Amino acid sequence: MMKWIKLAMRNILRNKRRSLVTLIAIAVGFSAISLFRGYTDRIYWFLKEGAIRGESLAHLTIYKADWLEKGKLDPERYMFSQEEIKRITGLVMQEKEVVLITPQIQVNGLITNGTISLPFIAQGVVPGDDKIIKGSWAALRPMTGEQLNDHKPYGVEVAKDLARFLNLEPGKDGVVMAPTLSGQMNALDIQVAGVFDTTMAATNDKFMRFNFDFAQSLYNTKGAEKFVVLLKDEKKTGKMRKAILAKLTAAGIACEIKTWNEMSAYYARSKGLLDVILLFILSIVLVIVTMSTVNTMSMAILERTREIGTLRALGLKQRGISILFATEGGLMGLFGSLAGIVIHLIVCTILRIVSPTYMPPSGTVAVRLWVDYIPATLFALMVFLVFLSLLTAFIAARRAAGQNIVDALKHV
Amino acid sequence: MSLIEMHNIRKDYHLGETVVHALRGIDLEIDKGEFVAIWGPSGSGKTTLLNLIGAIDEPTEGDVTMAGRNIRSLSDNQKSELRNERIGFIFQSFNLVPVLSAVENVMLPIQIKGVSYSEAKLKALGRLKEVGISELAHHRPFKMSGGQQQRVAIARALVNGPSLVIADEPTANLDSETAQIIISIMRDMNENDKITFIFSTHDQRLLNQVKRMVRMEDGRIVNGDARR
Repeated sequence: MMKWIKLAMRNILRNKRRSLVTLIAIAVGFSAISLFRGYTDRIYWFLKEGAIRGESLAHLTIYKADWLEKGKLDPERYMFSQEEIKRITGLVMQEKEVVLITPQIQVNGLITNGTISLPFIAQGVVPGDDKIIKGSWAALRPMTGEQLNDHKPYGVEVAKDLARFLNLEPGKDGVVMAPTLSGQMNALDIQVAGVFDTTMAATNDKFMRFNFDFAQSLYNTKGAEKFVVLLKDEKKTGKMRKAILAKLTAAGIACEIKTWNEMSAYYARSKGLLDVILLFILSIVLVIVTMSTVNTMSMAILERTREIGTLRALGLKQRGISILFATEGGLMGLFGSLAGIVIHLIVCTILRIVSPTYMPPSGTVAVRLWVDYIPATLFALMVFLVFLSLLTAFIAARRAAGQNIVDALKHV
Repeated sequence: MSLIEMHNIRKDYHLGETVVHALRGIDLEIDKGEFVAIWGPSGSGKTTLLNLIGAIDEPTEGDVTMAGRNIRSLSDNQKSELRNERIGFIFQSFNLVPVLSAVENVMLPIQIKGVSYSEAKLKALGRLKEVGISELAHHRPFKMSGGQQQRVAIARALVNGPSLVIADEPTANLDSETAQIIISIMRDMNENDKITFIFSTHDQRLLNQVKRMVRMEDGRIVNGDARR
């Protein structure tokens, strides 16, 4: 095999300019895919962590059966009771993969500073548990003042724009109003503990975060709308959903469980869009690499027709001719991919040094442009492009290999 | 048994709607160790005849047998193996692979056969020495004269120890002095190694040195011992 690789190498160098153009096409195509893949990988990670930790969705969300369909019409009926909260917590915590399970409640109402009232959507969370869910992500969350804490139930977090409209800042007081589950209006005093940035313009003027007990008081309930479950390993989300659902069903608790990516519509939409763009780029590169290789190989085959005839006369079989050209194609795919990896590394290094930022659509905070270096992806892409070049060259060479030897020898 | 036997060979070429009868009923037998010249005017069918003997073309009618094997009955792969192991080719334009050195060109047929690199190199260097250009072993063809390239081509044709060497106008592109050297080399190989040489030529110097001449005209053998 080495002799054919050696011969293929020399043939690649035979027409340096043409080979170089093909190598550049492959290298640019490779780096376009790898860089975009590295970028989307970072974005996916960011969106995933944002959903699990930033939105406090954790990995699994447990609702009482039919909550998602009928819960808003009859919340008291479809919320978990105090007894169910204890039972479910106990059962789920038996699972070794579970880090924590915590109840949550969502409250809709009005917040006022005494002069102006604005609608809000608040998430009622257990501060200690929420801190565990947020983990290191909390450091990425722009915030002034203090976070929620168990010792100050009336302390709340207010989204940046909502706080600005109401002229609220940490330490200032206000009142929140919401209908209880029985339909009566309830109002409670609050003190702004902290002002946070949701990082989304669409939610910065309406989001709040309450202590879970405070949210229960406002709704006048001892129940919980849902549980979120944090797992040790995100990859086991699907498996754990099945396990927990089976366990709760066996215990006579009718419920439905959603995974974090089912709960985060933003993640699903963003990933869908980026996947389509990646597919689009991949298709373009596929066409470019195929066309370049076909063009280079066709030219080489035409120029070397007499040489093909000579090799056939010397006893090289048709398959041998195809392998010879396929080796040339494969080598070009390999060198083009290696050049693509070099371009990828250079761009990654430049991005780490320059640290450019950009404002995502609907965002409020500039995000650092970052491209991940994923060896497995680069290797897979290299294998794919080498195989594609090899296959393209092989197909182009099959016709040449099958041509009449006498005609090939006469070719000028 | 003759090395080559041809019976009632016809070969037609189709050029659009015109049919060209390149060979019109050839009968020919060639024994092992012969030094045979096929000669005649251009278009008489010399090259076509050599192509059929060399198993790189197929007759329209008739059978060509080599050492008793009917070439027509062989598959493409079997014909490739036959050419590789039993037949050497020398072309008018040398047809060396330009990206390979002289020794690498000579090694090609052995490597196609699957022999190891070191053994192939040893044999190739030996053949280059026999044709008197071992000092050019690592030169690429473009750095060699026509005569030197044809010597490499002869070494390549002989490297697998073929029983038959086919040469199509081997001296046509060479000056008379070089042509004489090439003829001598071929003649020596024939006499010393008993390799059968069949070649087409217009070259009178070459014709003067052959044991047997086959003259062709209009696709037929017109004189010379077609059957011995």
